[in-house]
Amino acid sequence: MAMVLAETPTAIRTAPTKFPLPKRQYPGALVVVEGIDGSGKSTQLYLLKRWLEIGGYRIHFTEWNSSPLVKSATRRGKQRRLLTPTTFSLLHAADFADRCERQILPLLHGGYLVLADRYIYTAFARDAARGCSPHWLRNLYSFAPIPDITFYFRAPLDVAVNRIVAGRPKLKYYEAGMDLGISLDRAESFRIFQERILMNYDAMIDSDQFVLMDGTVQVNKLQKLMRQVLSEKIELSHFAPKK
Amino acid sequence: MNSRNGKPSSGVKKRKKAGNGDAPSRFYGVPLPGVKVEDLSGTLFVLEGTDGSGRSTQIALLTEWLESEGFAVQTMGLRRSFLVADDIDNLLAENSVTPMTLALMYSTDFFDQLERRILPALRSGLIVLADRYIYTLIARSAVRGIGRDYLHGIYEMALRPDLTFWLNVKPEVAFDREFKKSQTISYWESGRDMSLSNDLFQSFIRYQSLIRREFDYLSQRHGFIEVDGEASVSEVNRVLRKRIASALGIRSTHYKPSHALAQLWR
Repeated sequence: MAMVLAETPTAIRTAPTKFPLPKRQYPGALVVVEGIDGSGKSTQLYLLKRWLEIGGYRIHFTEWNSSPLVKSATRRGKQRRLLTPTTFSLLHAADFADRCERQILPLLHGGYLVLADRYIYTAFARDAARGCSPHWLRNLYSFAPIPDITFYFRAPLDVAVNRIVAGRPKLKYYEAGMDLGISLDRAESFRIFQERILMNYDAMIDSDQFVLMDGTVQVNKLQKLMRQVLSEKIELSHFAPKK
Repeated sequence: MNSRNGKPSSGVKKRKKAGNGDAPSRFYGVPLPGVKVEDLSGTLFVLEGTDGSGRSTQIALLTEWLESEGFAVQTMGLRRSFLVADDIDNLLAENSVTPMTLALMYSTDFFDQLERRILPALRSGLIVLADRYIYTLIARSAVRGIGRDYLHGIYEMALRPDLTFWLNVKPEVAFDREFKKSQTISYWESGRDMSLSNDLFQSFIRYQSLIRREFDYLSQRHGFIEVDGEASVSEVNRVLRKRIASALGIRSTHYKPSHALAQLWR
């Protein structure tokens, strides 16, 4: 269902459109990892990055929510708990757009292999769990280039939640999904929130061609598999150091 | 099953304010999470137009008139949210922000105001006067190459105004007025990030012409009430009062500005 406001397009000549483009052509490649907290994705991407770095490949690593652009707004919103599902989502989208336009896209056009710890699917899974319309979210991020590989790290809910809760003295308000009013108990709220996110991720496995990675497998074995998949799907020689 | 039987559409009440017979949904698409449309008893009037079109003057006069008629008024505008207004100011000052990021920061600014200030006001039955709305945001981004449907998609959860006035002025007139007011022309209002011309006047005219073309399109798409913004303040105000009074179902449209606002009345 195309939820646009248009009744009839008019004949008025308007400026040409650059965003969003249906399909981009660039020499670079984009590899992303996704999964709930505690699924092991960051560890695995780190190891993949080290492997490529040591080999001298042209790579760039980027992670979600890392730009200074929205830091003060996010802090203000979180401290005073002013963020609604919509403004939470838009702020993260603005942050992502900044990274996308100023890092990811130029690097892809410049022929880099870009590694991203979390990508738009994080927003699809998490913001939909907060109550944002999935259709609205898909439109919101339609300017983002589609990854060449999306590794989806999946661990059973209990395993993932225990990894996080054990290592952290206190879960933060939004992190635990306390804004949803599911439960007054943070650990309980976190668990239910993560469960919803997990379900949303699972629903995207086929539609978004995730490569499913079992987060309970031994770290080194899983990394071996990850490197294998990467080598099969991406022509790594394009990014190899020039002789 | 229950919506079509019994009383005619009790959920979506036909709003007597809605002027021209049909009662469109109060939202463009799906409502914001947690918002009940039937709770919103207030009214939203939007004034659109470029800088120099006289919007702020008219908002000040309309506020005084409505308050003297006994209506409580709340206003909104661009970059007035608690959440990100300062951040947008900083981004604009740096001139290094990219169009998509700016568009999304503005949408955050918009929804923060809408959700935390405007919807509560409308639930309390207030009249909201918006000094610019999603249309300016859509037009500005569209001329910078962001898709119109994409932009409309972002704002599909925005509230549909009861009336939208477009104070239409020629770019040359807007230039004269702006220059008179501040002795200069702002970087963004002349679209200097778009590299249209090195000449500030030319850049302003070309940029505002592009924006105006977008407004022509938006006006058709959303049914704006176009007002000749080059008419005198009192004449524009008379036209606005007439339409607003009829939307609110009040008779008296008589108004003379108070001493405090008399200098606006030209």
